[in-house]
Amino acid sequence: MLWAVANDYTLLPRSVDRWADKAEDITHAALGEKLPTSNLLRQIVAAYLQVAGIDKGYGYFAPGVPNSYKLVFELRYADGRVEYELPSLSGKAAGVRMVTLLDHIAQTQYDPLREVILKMLAYSVWQEHPDAVTIRAVFGQIEEPTAAQALQGQSESYQFLYAYDFSFARQPANSAKP
Amino acid sequence: MTSVLHGNRLIQRSHNWISGFQERLKLFLFPSASDSWLAVLRIGLGFQLMLYCLSLRKDWIQLFGANGTGLINRELIEAVVKLDSSFLPTLGWLVTLGNKIGLSEQTVLWGTWASLLCASGFLLLGVLCRCSAVVAWFLYVCAVNSGNLLAYGVDNFTIIGLFYLMLAPFPDRYALDRKFWRSPIRDRRLHGFFRRVLQLHLSVIYFFGGLTKCLGAGWWTGENMWRALTHAPFNILPQHLIISWRAVLPILGIAILVLETGYPVFIWLKKTRLVWLIAIVCMHIAIGLTMGLYLFALIMIILNLAAFGPGLLRPEKTRTELAVAELEQANSLRP
Repeated sequence: MLWAVANDYTLLPRSVDRWADKAEDITHAALGEKLPTSNLLRQIVAAYLQVAGIDKGYGYFAPGVPNSYKLVFELRYADGRVEYELPSLSGKAAGVRMVTLLDHIAQTQYDPLREVILKMLAYSVWQEHPDAVTIRAVFGQIEEPTAAQALQGQSESYQFLYAYDFSFARQPANSAKP
Repeated sequence: MTSVLHGNRLIQRSHNWISGFQERLKLFLFPSASDSWLAVLRIGLGFQLMLYCLSLRKDWIQLFGANGTGLINRELIEAVVKLDSSFLPTLGWLVTLGNKIGLSEQTVLWGTWASLLCASGFLLLGVLCRCSAVVAWFLYVCAVNSGNLLAYGVDNFTIIGLFYLMLAPFPDRYALDRKFWRSPIRDRRLHGFFRRVLQLHLSVIYFFGGLTKCLGAGWWTGENMWRALTHAPFNILPQHLIISWRAVLPILGIAILVLETGYPVFIWLKKTRLVWLIAIVCMHIAIGLTMGLYLFALIMIILNLAAFGPGLLRPEKTRTELAVAELEQANSLRP
């Protein structure tokens, strides 16, 4: 909650943000998060919080419902053919988890990590389409219409965020693995 | 002289107040409670884990495989997780252990899946409760850490439930362990304490969840209800149907705010407890059905029913009644 207030995602006036920021700092310090990452106490506290399931806040869909993201793979073949694929898992339960993955990709500040994750996803798609010469991963944000806009017939729009090109050699397969 | 007497009286009064407070606190934290809450938690979590395993069966290797077999290399996720703490258990530990005895990664991963499924079955039946709860908790934590980039709320709440279950005073009277080993039911105050901690934890969860929602404009206007219901892949209901209900969305949004923020007050008041519990359970059923978050809905219902369910419709048995029942049961078990 403090994070949402400190980052001005709430209805509260901006003057409160500063206090929330300080309170968040105190909470982080109390949980040892200001200590060096190698610090034993910090590691023990972090491990305890995680194994007890209390390491994350409880503000699901709060203060607002986050944006959704979309990842599309553009598969280009040697004969000029182009196909489009979405990253998918077989089961519905696992499919719901893809939302979290896409959120993580969007929130990753470290570009090389984002690229590695997308490369792995592209590789899993390439395994099903080994004839594809290149795979372009296009990541974007879905802008859903409001209820009023939907009433006027407006549908969702797609805002481009990132694109990466990958190519995987067929032989030897090991060298191409991400 | 008078001031000394007055001072002594003050000290006495504050001493009385402190000891009275301590007594009330003790009564609050260690109320006498039956083991029904534990039975609900054990059976519920067993069922939840079973559904978790079965629903991810087809994708298990894709979710947790490494080196090209998984969607995201498990080793990368584990490396990121280990930045927080190197003590966090991961499936990588089990794979390394398996490799040492000649087992392949896939065998270990399927072994983990089968073990989790077995543990869930044992929990459902109440066989080797403590051992099953520890195994289930450990394997679940490993799976969540190794699939951290794909984990969401349901995993957090399942870990919370399993953590309490692992420490809980087993067995409950419905567990097969009780019949097999004739283990006595633990002290009612110990049951009361564990149940109380779960109740307090849920109150904190709902209060802060509700309060954070209150701070967002969209929950008051119904916009967030709209977004939640139309947000892929939670958009189960057809959009035209939601549009036709748009007038109700602000009411539903505010109802959620009231239910969640008011939870730590109204769930504790005897007069409103039943109504609040039913409303919260209905809210989670609605989330499950309209957004497809079945496992999330189920775990929340289980935690709520375990914490506040027992004794709500039918008052829990008094200490004497329970003692008599225990004695009768013990006699019936005697060969």
